[in-house]
Amino acid sequence: MIDPSWIAALGVILFGIGLLGTFYHKNAIVVLMCIELMLNAANLNFVAAASHYGDVDGWVFTAIAISIAAAEVAIGLAILLSLYSTQGTISLDGARELRN
Amino acid sequence: MTESSNEYNLLLPLIPVLLMVPALYISGMESYDAAFLIVLAPFIAFPTIIIAGQLYNGNETWKNKMKEGGIIGLAALLVSLSVSVWILIEYLAEIHHFSGHQVTSWIEWISFEVLQSDYTMSSKRVIGVGVWIDSVTLMLLFVATFLCFLICWFSLGYMNTDPINEDRNHRFYAEFVLFAMGMFGMVLADNFLWLFIFWEIMGLCSYLLIGFYFWKESAAYAAKKAFLTTRVGDVFLMVGLLILYDIYGSLEFSVIFADPSLHGAVDSDKLFWALLMMFIGAIGKSAQFPLHVWLPDAMEGPTPVSALIHAATMVNAGLYLVARMVPFVDVGHHGVAGLEDLGLIVAYIGGITAFMAASIAFVQNDIKKVLAYSTMSQLAYIFTGLGSALWFYNHGEHHAATFVFGASMFHLFNHAMAKGMLFMASGSVIHEVHHAHDHLHEGGNDHDDFDPQDMRNMGGLASKMPVTSTAMMIGSMSIIGIPLIGGFWSKEGIIAETWLAALEHEPLMIGPAILILLTAGMTGFYMSRMWFMTFAGEPKHDVVNHVHESTPWIKEPLVILAVISFLGGFLLALFGVIDYLSGEYDHLALHKPSLLEAIIYELEHAFLPKNPNLRIVGWTTILLSFIIGPIIAARVHGGKLAEGHRASPMVAWLTSLSGMFGSQDATELSQSSLSEALQNRLYFDYYYELALSKTVLPFAVFAAWFDKTVIDGIIKKVAANSVLGSFQIRRVTTGRASDYILMVAVGTLSIFVLAWGVSG
Repeated sequence: MIDPSWIAALGVILFGIGLLGTFYHKNAIVVLMCIELMLNAANLNFVAAASHYGDVDGWVFTAIAISIAAAEVAIGLAILLSLYSTQGTISLDGARELRN
Repeated sequence: MTESSNEYNLLLPLIPVLLMVPALYISGMESYDAAFLIVLAPFIAFPTIIIAGQLYNGNETWKNKMKEGGIIGLAALLVSLSVSVWILIEYLAEIHHFSGHQVTSWIEWISFEVLQSDYTMSSKRVIGVGVWIDSVTLMLLFVATFLCFLICWFSLGYMNTDPINEDRNHRFYAEFVLFAMGMFGMVLADNFLWLFIFWEIMGLCSYLLIGFYFWKESAAYAAKKAFLTTRVGDVFLMVGLLILYDIYGSLEFSVIFADPSLHGAVDSDKLFWALLMMFIGAIGKSAQFPLHVWLPDAMEGPTPVSALIHAATMVNAGLYLVARMVPFVDVGHHGVAGLEDLGLIVAYIGGITAFMAASIAFVQNDIKKVLAYSTMSQLAYIFTGLGSALWFYNHGEHHAATFVFGASMFHLFNHAMAKGMLFMASGSVIHEVHHAHDHLHEGGNDHDDFDPQDMRNMGGLASKMPVTSTAMMIGSMSIIGIPLIGGFWSKEGIIAETWLAALEHEPLMIGPAILILLTAGMTGFYMSRMWFMTFAGEPKHDVVNHVHESTPWIKEPLVILAVISFLGGFLLALFGVIDYLSGEYDHLALHKPSLLEAIIYELEHAFLPKNPNLRIVGWTTILLSFIIGPIIAARVHGGKLAEGHRASPMVAWLTSLSGMFGSQDATELSQSSLSEALQNRLYFDYYYELALSKTVLPFAVFAAWFDKTVIDGIIKKVAANSVLGSFQIRRVTTGRASDYILMVAVGTLSIFVLAWGVSG
């Protein structure tokens, strides 16, 4: 049995990678992937805690989070498609219409 | 007016409305539970007329079949009238096992908790809405619903045939029914808060309807004056109600009136001020000295409005309020110490107003203004009567108190019926004279210098308008108090009891007593003067010869009210209405075994009272009002009818009387300085205006300046600066998604850090 604090540390690292990725990447698909990475970092913590305490609640949460993330990705990709069709690029720097 | 014969077909849609009350009765409903319908019907009719009027304005069907909303208003008022008659009948039928009052349809409106003196929120207060029914309510309710209905009927003829009102009548009818709602609601309200709310609704409608011809400067001015003058009283009324709430912790009648032992515990000084403030509110609404200045100007409104609001119903609201003060003073055998002066104040205000208004009425030439001053004067009689009643109640003189209270309420009834009719009759005169003038000067341009309300343009109309002149005669007789007719029964009671109070109990009462006795004679003079100037003598203008009494819808209300004014007083007196109205059923005249004995009892009571002082007072009143006043009026203003003109048989005796005495020479009288002062209404308006322009106006100018520069200035500065500031803040929002995510991350992190810092 691995000590859950190692798994939590892994989660933090993954979350940090995801977060920095969302800051520095311009490509919307990469940003989407980084968001998924952050979600999965949280899922990892859930699963680790669940196995540590012997409680199924964490697994249930993870299952729900994964299914919701799938739905979210579908919507996100649809948005990106329409973004591409209107702007000709999926660079996030182009999508700043609402500011004005 | 040839198509007018078919106009009454328009009433056919009202038949289902008439069936409503029997239907409710069969379905097993109690009449008291249906009382809310009285208020609800006009409440629904008001938006209906407004909206339909906006949609269909100018439409032929709307104009001719619906009378621009008049039929809707009539239907709603018919609902109110039939329900109130139903309640009245059940009330009278159950009179022997009915305990004073009844509250129905009560629902909770607002409930809240109040701070106790030890700062715990524990005392729960409830403000409810309900219907309060007792004998005073029912009398006033009947007067209001009945007159609203008849005057709405009258308006169908008066308003809709005048081209100046075309396409605007829906406004008139909508405000009319809204007023009706206010009046019915005020009468039925079971607490002072709702009474006040409906009171204000009436004030608003009064303002709107006086200003119906708002493009006339005088009408707009009069509306403003009426609104502001009554507002002065209303503020006092509100203060009075707040004090009352402070004393009792509730404004509900059933709470305030319920427990006489409560009165022992209340601070009677506080109570005195509360009642005095409420009385000032009543003064404003009922146009009594010194807040009387608005009523004569209110005659700028259409005549049906003058008849309904400014003679028959709204001005009675003040009387109703004073009548509701009786339970405050009527406690035990010695009353409440500290409230002795209240009755005296009320009586003095009444006496002064009665005398002052009657003397101003001497010289008015506008037919409606004469009636307006007469209204003030007669209302003042009722105030005097109520003042005596309050005094008697507070001194444990229960028998005299109930009698004069009942007489005052009865005078309210008689006066409302007679004065409503007199105004409608004057409206009929004005309408026909106006039409005759239009007919005569078709296309002429001298429209502006002819005043159809000026009695100096009339004279000799008795031969042209038989119904109107008869109605006017009977109404005037009722107001004057000619023996056996209408107001005689009630006015005699008020004068006699006030004198009784003055002679046997309280010497200070002698002031109002003398004033109202003199006013009785003056009433005889000015009412007769009005009749003689309008209907007797030779025509003073060629327009008179072209007057015809032909407009539909106008005669019926006059006939109905003439009959009521003529016989109503005597019949109701026979059936003991005075005892009934004061809630004293024990010595009800219904006990008299036969009708003949009842008649003898009433006549003896009126003409040969046992107290010798009252006998002298009674006969002096009759002498002054019946003989001296009218004969002087005939001497000064009467005259023979023109050659070849004949009056209708009903009024022929009066025109020939006028011919016998008349000289038609009033020049000498009208040139005295007293007459000039009276013509200027004793300079009240002048000095009020002067005082206002010296005090209120500069303050208002300052307030306007303050509002424009300081308050608006601050707001404008704030707005301009926030626009500038937002341009600065706008730079932060770059529009780049990664920047936003950074902000979210930093924000979340700082929250965590904060939480950690706080918990650690």
